[in-house]
Amino acid sequence: MKPLSLIVRTGCNLFAWFMLVFGVNVVVHGYASPGGGFQGGAIVATFIAFLLVSYGGEKIHSWVNEKIYDLILEETGLLLFITLAFMGLPTSFFYNFFTIPWEAYQQTGRLFPQGTTAIMSIAVGIEVAGALSMVILSMFKGIRLVSDRQIEEEPGHDR
Amino acid sequence: MMDVLHFAVLTMLLATAFFAIWFKGLLPSAISLSMFSLMMALEFYILQAPDVAIAEASIGAALSTTIYIFAIRACSKPRKAGGGDKQ
Amino acid sequence: MKKMIFILSAVIIGGLTCGLLDVPHPFGDPGVVPMDEHFLGQALKDLSTENVVTSIVFDYRGFDTIGEAAVLFTAICSVTALFREGRKKS
Repeated sequence: MKPLSLIVRTGCNLFAWFMLVFGVNVVVHGYASPGGGFQGGAIVATFIAFLLVSYGGEKIHSWVNEKIYDLILEETGLLLFITLAFMGLPTSFFYNFFTIPWEAYQQTGRLFPQGTTAIMSIAVGIEVAGALSMVILSMFKGIRLVSDRQIEEEPGHDR
Repeated sequence: MMDVLHFAVLTMLLATAFFAIWFKGLLPSAISLSMFSLMMALEFYILQAPDVAIAEASIGAALSTTIYIFAIRACSKPRKAGGGDKQ
Repeated sequence: MKKMIFILSAVIIGGLTCGLLDVPHPFGDPGVVPMDEHFLGQALKDLSTENVVTSIVFDYRGFDTIGEAAVLFTAICSVTALFREGRKKS
């Protein structure tokens, strides 16, 4: 797939990074604001889809390494999540073992991002972002291999 | 005011769901399904469920549409050289 | 045969729609759920998270999230196995 026209690429350069920052913000503030791990990870994967649509497959596959998404991001998130779940095991599975006490919140009046809930949100966000990006990248790679065989010269989109 | 907005969103839900089946081409159908997901996200937001609204807007409207379009592109016939519009 | 299937499905869908009119909880009024009140009251004290949905998803009902992560992992494994780079014929 050839890259799209200059207008689309300029719009991508302007808005894609805000999309990434918004996704990370949704993941990190999942304990206090609407959103959480799954939603923020999906927004980060939308960023990858946006880059893939506007810049074409060959450039993206030369930019990123798929093993980052598959091996590092997804499995790190999953292992962190399960490890955090097992660390509360002396009391129970999924016990929140270092939450901030309620009295400290009443004294300071401020909610700190503590407890396993925030870290589990970040772990699930890492996992979902890696997983959905991996789906899109590997699907596009399989399609590109097919179309390389059949379509030799593809007409450009608008140039 | 809120009732009018709610009714308009529900009507658009029905219309986009109908057009997703009614279109013959696969690409307009996928775009109509994307519009359906967007209306669904608005509906969730009106019903005060912002978590589900964010998930629906990002997955239903963006990611699944991208995957549908990749699949349509992979299944379609190879285009002839000399212009994409002529087929 | 096709007409029989159509009549049967029309009867089933019509019956379900008529049964839906007599739903116990009207729209916008979910009734009294005992676990609901407990979660809404205790989530801030137990977990110090303002978002009750996150506290339910990641703490009270953590097993469901583990199942969801396992489903996603299985989906990634199948997609990677399906779309992997094939061996080229030389």
